[in-house]
Amino acid sequence: MSRGAVLSVIGAFIGFVVVWQLVVAVSGFPPFILPAPGAVATRFVTALTDGTIWPHLATTLLAVGLGFGVGAGLAVVVGYALARSALVERLLSPYLVAAQATPILALAPLIALWFGPGLAGKVLICALIVFFPVAVATMVGIRAVDARLLELGRSLRATRRQVLTTLEIPAALPSIFGGLRVGVTLAVVGAIVGEWAGAERGLGVLINLARGSLFDIPLMFATLLTIALVGIVLYLTVVVIERRLVGAR
Amino acid sequence: MSDRGALAISGVHLAFPVRGGGALPVLDGVDLAVPGGGIVALIGPNGCGKSTLLRVAAGLLRPGRGMVSLDGVGIAGPDPRIGLVFQEPRLLPWRSAADNITYPLELAGWPLERRRARLAELTDLVALDPGVVDNRPSELSGGTRQRVALARALALEPEVLLLDEPFSALDALSRERFDLELLRLWERASTTIVLVTHSIGEAILVADRIVVMSPRPGRVVADIPVDLARPRSLADLDAAVVTRTAQEVRHHLGEGDDAGAVVREASA
Repeated sequence: MSRGAVLSVIGAFIGFVVVWQLVVAVSGFPPFILPAPGAVATRFVTALTDGTIWPHLATTLLAVGLGFGVGAGLAVVVGYALARSALVERLLSPYLVAAQATPILALAPLIALWFGPGLAGKVLICALIVFFPVAVATMVGIRAVDARLLELGRSLRATRRQVLTTLEIPAALPSIFGGLRVGVTLAVVGAIVGEWAGAERGLGVLINLARGSLFDIPLMFATLLTIALVGIVLYLTVVVIERRLVGAR
Repeated sequence: MSDRGALAISGVHLAFPVRGGGALPVLDGVDLAVPGGGIVALIGPNGCGKSTLLRVAAGLLRPGRGMVSLDGVGIAGPDPRIGLVFQEPRLLPWRSAADNITYPLELAGWPLERRRARLAELTDLVALDPGVVDNRPSELSGGTRQRVALARALALEPEVLLLDEPFSALDALSRERFDLELLRLWERASTTIVLVTHSIGEAILVADRIVVMSPRPGRVVADIPVDLARPRSLADLDAAVVTRTAQEVRHHLGEGDDAGAVVREASA
């Protein structure tokens, strides 16, 4: 980023904090409704330094990482099959759309019931929520591969596997990464929803604790801040990998 | 003339299926024999099946009837002895020029060292500036891209080079330069060449024979020899034999309905 771009990002953040502070000052909401930014920042730092957040963060990250990996990995394979086989598309797409149309919030308690409060249920919810956007992006990307390039591959007697690795995947990569960008942020949502539905540890659990038994609203805000930061960092990671792999074209 | 690379197209019929049933005849019994090391230009009105015939010869399309053979062996599918240059460069945009040129070698399983050595030969053969081989296609000019495509088609040392209006996207001056470079390359590599073109001038400058096709369904309506000594230069294009050959080609093109457009374009 250029210096101007960095300054504008910092400026926008300062603006956000100032507005927040103004709302607190003007509205006169008590801290247990809307704590001031300073209070949240202080609580955030102490929660990090006294070790309150770390175990929850680690649990959530593990679920997000595994769920995203499993969901996106399967989605790329299924998305490819959807693009290349009319039969697969006819058979699978009604279920995919139905699964996507059912709110994950409604499914989460059921999954928690089946899989218990452990890791497996969270990974499954993450994978489910990541699956659809990545599968659709892959399908669209593979379908859009230039038929003239495929003809070139045929004229050079490329094998099925060579067509996949040297033509289809590189050509569809920008589109697949579009799906991964959406998917990685949804994976965070999936983990939090899963933890709400029943878990022993995780950032979603910490929110419930802070709101309920602890009644520590600044801690709740600090946890929300952590979740947002996790989303931003994961998203940027995907963008950086995309820049490396897709590069200039 | 070389003893390798004799291409024979005999009695080739081809029809494309039409939506809603039926078939559209595109090639109607095409016969064409090109001796090894010969250069034949294919000329004809738009939609006469020139490009389709080239795809049949390249093994990309299977004819309904008839056959294509190279040195007496039938062509049943894409063949490493045949190199194909499309109308547009058709490069992989995510690969450098060098990696585009060596792409056929990669697919054929050549090890990196051999690919590098062959790359150097190929860039020399097509006179590609070695300074641009690491650039992506989007950073190259149209002419340079087509040079890369030509090098790619030559990578596996084909006996036959099939060119589908390869220089039609270039301006007239660049096109003449490329035609001359193609001749120089042909003298070195001694491949058989079939060149599809819209330009009578280009056909005369490059070919031993000009084969004129009819409007769809395509047939060969004339096979006109070009009596110009080699090596040829642009100055040869002023000779009387050129005018006579061009008139003969135009006469045969004139047999078609929409051939007038081609004649005007070719003489422009």
